[in-house]
Amino acid sequence: MAKTEIRIGGLGGQGVILSGIIIGKAASIYDGKHSTLIQAFGPEARGSACSAQVMIDDNAIGYPYVKTPDILVVMSSAAYTQFVPELGDSGMLLYEEELVDPKDLPAGVKTYGIPATRIAEELGRRLVLNIVMVGFFAGVTGILSPKAVEKAVLASVPRGTEDLNLKAFKRGFEHGESLVKGN
Amino acid sequence: MDLEGYPKYLPLKGEEQVIIRPLKATDEAGLLDFFSVLPEQDRLFLREDVTRPEVIQGFVQNIDFDSVMPLLAEHEGKIVGDATLHLTRHGWTRHVGQIRMVVARKFQHRGLGTAMARCLVRHAVSLGLDKLLAEVVDNQIAAKRAFEKLGFKQEAVLRNQVRDIHGVKRNLVILSNDVSHIWETMEAMVADFSPTYGG
Repeated sequence: MAKTEIRIGGLGGQGVILSGIIIGKAASIYDGKHSTLIQAFGPEARGSACSAQVMIDDNAIGYPYVKTPDILVVMSSAAYTQFVPELGDSGMLLYEEELVDPKDLPAGVKTYGIPATRIAEELGRRLVLNIVMVGFFAGVTGILSPKAVEKAVLASVPRGTEDLNLKAFKRGFEHGESLVKGN
Repeated sequence: MDLEGYPKYLPLKGEEQVIIRPLKATDEAGLLDFFSVLPEQDRLFLREDVTRPEVIQGFVQNIDFDSVMPLLAEHEGKIVGDATLHLTRHGWTRHVGQIRMVVARKFQHRGLGTAMARCLVRHAVSLGLDKLLAEVVDNQIAAKRAFEKLGFKQEAVLRNQVRDIHGVKRNLVILSNDVSHIWETMEAMVADFSPTYGG
């Protein structure tokens, strides 16, 4: 697999960094690839902009900063506005479709939306929005094995919350997979 | 509703094994048998007259896991325990679930009640509930202990609330289990905030 640069953006409280950790963990620990994570967040706990940069490669990674993401995952409108100019002409945009309204994108950019917050609320906890998004990422991109991501989710979430987080992952994954198959 | 992980096989003391599984539409006769042979003393505290076939028929014909999650314990083809998680999907107590349980005498004090309650607590957490309630009569010491093992604590006592088989009024103990703390760690993890940031 060629090097894949991923940028995940959103607001504090959406679990942006944890999404990056899970994707990186799935790639490096459970799928045998190399991965790096860079995280950035504002000083406030909630509502401030934050982002994670994840790099995945079959080979060792010498430079961990994402310059031109192949995949941009955005969970807020502000993150979309801030990071979409970085996206390559043939990049992929995954977005929270009830919070982000993508427009004026280069023709080559593939876009996939999911109502992740609503799905998380339907499942019983808005908190699992980021896990829905991780599942969606896995379902759309196919760059990681679903089993690896599932294991990374289970290894990353607190004890007692595994079942709901697993449901969140599956809902996101199925939604992503169905969009790709439909295209 | 997706009910992964069932049936569960529970070994009991004495090399016996019990199957824990959700109620099915075909359980009508088995459930009626189970409730019919329960001692009257055990049936007295149930909310409905479960010896009436139409009541049991109502249970099995109206299975709706979004409102009630019913688990049965089965041993050698016979039902030996019934535990339910009651949900309120709308309104101001939709974060609260109530557990009700009855276990055949022969299978009491063998860990079956605790195991069934544990299944329901886990299911409640997976539904995102914050709080669970259970009611026991003050002399149901073993049942109270079983719930306490799972984190339930006494929250209220309704004095002389129930009348037992001998006509004696007894106190009803309301136990609660605040499971919201399970999510506190997750909340901290998704805060996207470092306590050491900036200093």
